Amino acid sequence: MSVDTAVPTPSAEVAGLSLRQLAWRRLRRDRGALIAGTVLILVFLIALFAPLITSLVGVNPFDFDATALDPAKGSLPAGPWGSMSWDHLLGVEPLTGRDLFSRLLYGARVSLFIALTSVIITAVIGTTIGIIAGYKGGRWDTFIGRGTDLLLAFPQILMLIALSPVITQRLVALGISPELARVFYLIIVFVFFGWPYLARLVRGQVLSLREREFVEASVAIGAPTRRILFKEILPNLWAPLIVYVTISMPTIIAAEATLAYLGVGIIEPTPSWGKMLADSVRFFTVDPSYLFIPGTVLFVVVFAFNVFGDAVRDALDPRAGRG
Amino acid sequence: MQTVKRNGLRLAAVMGAGVMLLAACGGSSSSSESSAGGSAAASGSTGDGSAPTKGGTINVLTLSEQFNHLDPQRNYTGVDLAFASAYLNRTLTQYQLAPGADGVTLVPDMATDTGTSNADATSWSFTLRDGVSFQDGSPIGCADIKYGVSRTFATDIITDGPTYAITYLDIPQNDDGTSTYKGPFVEDAAGQANFDKAVTCSDDNKTITFNLNQPVGDFNYAVTLSAFSPVPKASDTGEKYDDAVVSSGPYQITEYTKGQKLVLDRNPNWDEASDPIRKAWPDKVVVSFAIDASAIDQRLIADSGEDQTAVPIAGMQPENLATVFASDDPRFADRSVDAADPYARYMVINTQKVPNLKQREAIAVAVNRAEILQIRGGDFAGTLADGVISPTLGAAYQPSDMWTSAFGQPIPDTGDPEYAKQLITESGEPMPKLIFQFPNNPVDEKIAVSTQASLAKAGIEVELAPLEPGEYYSIVMDPTKAEGLIRSGWAADWPNASTVIPPLFGQNESFNLGFAGDQSYWDSISTAKANTDATAQAAQWADLNKQAMSQAWVVPQVFGKTQYIWGSKVGGSFMWDAYGAIPYANLWVKQ
Repeated sequence: MSVDTAVPTPSAEVAGLSLRQLAWRRLRRDRGALIAGTVLILVFLIALFAPLITSLVGVNPFDFDATALDPAKGSLPAGPWGSMSWDHLLGVEPLTGRDLFSRLLYGARVSLFIALTSVIITAVIGTTIGIIAGYKGGRWDTFIGRGTDLLLAFPQILMLIALSPVITQRLVALGISPELARVFYLIIVFVFFGWPYLARLVRGQVLSLREREFVEASVAIGAPTRRILFKEILPNLWAPLIVYVTISMPTIIAAEATLAYLGVGIIEPTPSWGKMLADSVRFFTVDPSYLFIPGTVLFVVVFAFNVFGDAVRDALDPRAGRG
Repeated sequence: MQTVKRNGLRLAAVMGAGVMLLAACGGSSSSSESSAGGSAAASGSTGDGSAPTKGGTINVLTLSEQFNHLDPQRNYTGVDLAFASAYLNRTLTQYQLAPGADGVTLVPDMATDTGTSNADATSWSFTLRDGVSFQDGSPIGCADIKYGVSRTFATDIITDGPTYAITYLDIPQNDDGTSTYKGPFVEDAAGQANFDKAVTCSDDNKTITFNLNQPVGDFNYAVTLSAFSPVPKASDTGEKYDDAVVSSGPYQITEYTKGQKLVLDRNPNWDEASDPIRKAWPDKVVVSFAIDASAIDQRLIADSGEDQTAVPIAGMQPENLATVFASDDPRFADRSVDAADPYARYMVINTQKVPNLKQREAIAVAVNRAEILQIRGGDFAGTLADGVISPTLGAAYQPSDMWTSAFGQPIPDTGDPEYAKQLITESGEPMPKLIFQFPNNPVDEKIAVSTQASLAKAGIEVELAPLEPGEYYSIVMDPTKAEGLIRSGWAADWPNASTVIPPLFGQNESFNLGFAGDQSYWDSISTAKANTDATAQAAQWADLNKQAMSQAWVVPQVFGKTQYIWGSKVGGSFMWDAYGAIPYANLWVKQ
């Protein structure tokens, strides 16, 4: 698809470059973004191939290991640093002896799956509603505007905790296993509370886009609304959408951890980073590595997403002026 | 109905498990000839060398926002009973303040002896000492105790307390099984007359006699419960009495701010000569509420400032145990205790969902019990159980053969999935898919995962149903909502298995979660109940326990342990087996 029409041509030198080429060039010059991007690609690959990697190492996230624990210490890991060894590269979980390395890897799958799915669904819903509000205007805009205001005013965390048992039980009643039901629940609520932000953003963009000459030109030559929306306006929304996605991913990963801490996260035996963190706090004084390992991983991934998201935004926004 | 209320608080104590469990538990009573290892540790802790002295302040730290109930007729949580009986409520009899097995020896408190019964134990009399009085100086007579007992019958106002008075006193019942007496808050001459016949006072107001509807050989143990302690009628404010208890003990409430603190000062009208149990060393007792459970442990470990004279109400959190007990650190040697508590923890197999005995056996055989003990905290959690009668109950505990021969061959602690598969084949029916209900907390959910995995190895499919801890027992005690597998636990109300076997496996008992038992079993329960020979009765309970295990109505898992730590300037502390609690009445401040 071609997006060059949208780009104003500021100088002769870059006249031949598309927005995407420009953005790519800027992104490549940003060393922080490159490092963050590499980390993220690595994390995605690890998540994707978690079962392969863990089976190569010879561990899995579900098996209990009594030999790594010391009953005389109240089932805390027997060795130092959470009983780190060649058998358990990052040590084991207290009380159960489950392998932390494999739980981290599998946890990445869960965390990233929830974040990615929520973000994609949010993007689709938010964009659609935003475009309708922005392009149709009038009564549509007012109605959607009030709707988003209403949702944004909701006390989210409170709602999340209160709704959790109700919605999960409904899902279980539909024949979904309780473990999956929690995953679906998290995705549903992240989407439910996430789309209004995006819809507002998109609406603003569409409002300004529809007054632009190329849109007016399309309207003038009698192009159908569908064509105007999808061929003229949507391509110009990619930039804010990509920024939205990269910025929301870490927010959702962190939110999942917060919810796990509040007791409405993923349920056992499925590993998730949030769950591990929530569990580990109790053991902080006696088994600090149990807290530090998932904590560090969560921090690095969220940080990488944020750095990368910022860089993408800078790269895509010609007015950012970072040189 | 009575059972629901009777068990209410005790259940609350058991259901939390893990974090919550240790926060709330400490059963009401235990006995203990054989309490594993615990007694030795406990006695070791008393020899702290310093002579007790009067004065100072004992600080009590607790996670709770308030005491569940200080109203004597409503108090039914082990540790709360231990606290209130030490400072505020005197009872007719009480347990001796001593570490180890002596801690469950019955001794007279307000009464001159431990009670006298008629030949068939259907009538019990207690005579009051001279000099016992309320905090306002008015002497306590038989009428005050009688009035206190009568409050238990007002079941709409006096909730959550033990209801042994309703069960045992010889008062006619209505057709629906409720008592014809509705308590002192309802004007009903006929009901009152029935109660007056069941509980009588001598002319000098000194001797109280309880007439019972059945032989109760251990009724003098039942009266250690504060439900049998006196309440002055003039000061009874019904539901509000909880916040303004009139003391009969050595201290009285000066300030009670829920969520913050309870301050007790000396009761000037308490006569030391009338009280053979309570020592009343400190001048003041201050309870601080709403402190994070792990923070309490950390403060007691750090032992600085006022915390040097502090004691906890709940046992230690599992994550802090290694610091105190695994290090052989001399700093903690004489101010901590690790001893058996009266709880047996088990998983119920619902006989309505799994009526086939071979299939129940298969479930019991497949469970990896060693792993469950490990998740509960290894050596600190206790020992593997083979029944529901805890070894702390003395003679009533006998090995049940459950894991050695009852199911045809010895079963290893880690379970035997192959043998379980064989038993399922022998059952001749396909194994139904099961749902495992448990309170949703970090420890129980891991136990659930372990159970699910170990049963899966035997080809038994289990779905996990985590329930909100606060509503756990109200769900599983609802016959329409109880599923195939239910996690549970129980402690005796006093050192007799008569408070274990009947509530767990009796007919129509609300805590018989798996609808276990048949007519002949229930007949045996009735026979055992009526037996007034304690030794013979204990043997009957042991046999009924064995029968229950061979029927695989439950999968016993752990006989529990509890750990306490206290400040370095607290004297006289140990594990008081009677309540699985700290002996508050024995504490002093080291100068």
